[in-house]
Amino acid sequence: MDQLNQREQQEFQKLVEQKQMKDFMRLYSNLVERCFSDCVNDFTSSKLTSKEESCILKCSEKFLKHSERVGQRFQEQNAAMTQQMRR
Amino acid sequence: MSFLGLGGAPQVSSEAKIQAAEAELDLVTDMFNRLVDNCHQKCITKGYSEGDLNKNESLCIDRCVAKYFEVNVKVGENMQKLGSSGAFAGRP
Repeated sequence: MDQLNQREQQEFQKLVEQKQMKDFMRLYSNLVERCFSDCVNDFTSSKLTSKEESCILKCSEKFLKHSERVGQRFQEQNAAMTQQMRR
Repeated sequence: MSFLGLGGAPQVSSEAKIQAAEAELDLVTDMFNRLVDNCHQKCITKGYSEGDLNKNESLCIDRCVAKYFEVNVKVGENMQKLGSSGAFAGRP
């Protein structure tokens, strides 16, 4: 039912790429907001302290690993659900 | 154009098919983004003493995703039940 022919697939692929770019920008600004909110609380200086910098590094690393793991589990759950629906 | 399946396979326009695929992609992307936000909020401790996920966090994430899916199914079932019982139809 949902089969796209080759030309349609190409068109859809273009859409996917546009969305991926948008999604990446969204991820980026979200991560800035998240790590700023969690790590930066001291405004006695206009420069980031070394403590804040190390927090930001860990915050972004942890978030990317988090979202990678969620992605793996998401795929597994999704596959299990589709299989169940086919039965 | 076919009507009631007369005239062989139903002709769906390319545009409609791509639109349907796009809607599905948007739905899945939206759910995934919500999942990431929710489970981050519930599982990741804000101290950031390390960049790696620790054991507790990893376990929490796995369970969080599984439960999110379960809630998804349960809410769907409930809505169907409420819909068919007419609970929404006779709203005052």
